[in-house]
Amino acid sequence: MKKQVKAYILFPSHTDGLKLEKVLKERKVKYTITPTPRSLSKSCGIAIMIDPNDIKKVENILKINPEIKTEGIHKLEKRKRVT
Amino acid sequence: MADYKELWKSLDIDLEKHDKLCAVLPEFYEDIYLSQENRPDGMNYFNFVVSEIHGLRIKELADFKEKGGKVFGSFCVFVPDEIVFAADGIGVGLCGGSDFWVPDGEKELPRNTCPLIKASVGARISNTCPYFSSADMLVGETTCDGKKKAWEILGEYTPMHVMDLPQMKREKDYKHWKEELEIFKDKVEKMTGNKVTKDKLQESIKMINDKRKALQRLYDLRKNEKLPISGKDALLITQIAFYDDPKRFTEKVNELCDELEERVKNEVNVFNDDTKRILVTGTPQAVPNWKMHDIIETSGGAVVCEETCIGTRYFTNTVNEDCNSLDEQLKELSNRYMGINCACFTPNDGRIDDIKRLYKEYNAEGVIYYSLPFCNTYAIEYKRVKEELDKEGIPVIMIETDYSNQDVGQIKTRLEAFFEMLEN
Repeated sequence: MKKQVKAYILFPSHTDGLKLEKVLKERKVKYTITPTPRSLSKSCGIAIMIDPNDIKKVENILKINPEIKTEGIHKLEKRKRVT
Repeated sequence: MADYKELWKSLDIDLEKHDKLCAVLPEFYEDIYLSQENRPDGMNYFNFVVSEIHGLRIKELADFKEKGGKVFGSFCVFVPDEIVFAADGIGVGLCGGSDFWVPDGEKELPRNTCPLIKASVGARISNTCPYFSSADMLVGETTCDGKKKAWEILGEYTPMHVMDLPQMKREKDYKHWKEELEIFKDKVEKMTGNKVTKDKLQESIKMINDKRKALQRLYDLRKNEKLPISGKDALLITQIAFYDDPKRFTEKVNELCDELEERVKNEVNVFNDDTKRILVTGTPQAVPNWKMHDIIETSGGAVVCEETCIGTRYFTNTVNEDCNSLDEQLKELSNRYMGINCACFTPNDGRIDDIKRLYKEYNAEGVIYYSLPFCNTYAIEYKRVKEELDKEGIPVIMIETDYSNQDVGQIKTRLEAFFEMLEN
């Protein structure tokens, strides 16, 4: 089975997620809004998935935008869907 | 992460059972939706809505109710949202599309009931759908026997109003439906304490027209030879139309369409060029029933249009916005809704014309007639539809399937053979 590594940014609330989305869009960082993977948190709600190669870039963005609260960036190995 | 437990508790949700439902969504959605390649960026909004499906929107409804607002839950494209919003109410669609709710539905209903009804009743009686719990009133209609009897069960939990939809389209039936709209208007006024005035109705007619026009714009973009968006994504958007805030939804769909227009200019295709273009026709696909579209789009097909209630039947035709009186507005509303070609009507030749027209407009190569089990009206109507499509040389295959995954492999095999036949 093919596997790939993804990085997920978790947030205390969806408003923080949307704030970061706005900045990522401006900076042209590729992202996808996703439901929070169950293995990372039991609470429902949004997470933002990014390419693990962009983690450094996003960490810097968060540093200069301290008003955006997160619950960390987590790497997950995902199986790739075989169709 | 956002914690909605207190909110759900206040809605009497069975937290333990509901958690099992929450547990399956992320992976299910990732598998079906996020595995697609080259999705438009504008789909992020709809990813957001799905991720917050029992969170943010439920919170919005709770805040609205706290200020005295009333929420109306409905199950059919014949229930006129315009009247609900004109009385400053909020309408949400409640049809159940998950296999998760079927076993609970079967506790109250015979097993040979359609999965949509079983899931809807199951969602209510198991206290695992916060939308049901948010509704102050349920609005049913008489589109099928299963639903008619289900209202009697649901009415034990939430105040229920049933609209008597005629089953023929004679002049007197149009009049009858207008009378039903008047009765519904009175009911909504009583529930909300707000009058539906001509100005208020004009405003809500315009708002819902705008939503319909945005969906039509999205569907028009699927007529292009190069498909800027998958059928699965379009289906999700139409499903979300039933419960999202209408103004925000319209804005987001139009934003997405701007992006799709750019894609069309740049000849972006989310499928391979030899993918078979498929028109799906038949029974509704309530969220999160993505089964049929997912099978089609992972077997060599692309859905270019849905002639279903979660498709063209929902948004085709708008309501005249320039009326001189409330009476005239209700007449126009009645005409618009009676123009929907549902299999509950006899005869229902308009639907056959719609299928033929959409097949041409969307340059489809084949038709998949999708029916939920035990949906008599749609299953029986297949005979006439097939005869008429045969006359025009339009290939059609009937797939009857419920919400479970047991038959996915079998359907895939049938569809692959069907798509291969379309090559010749």
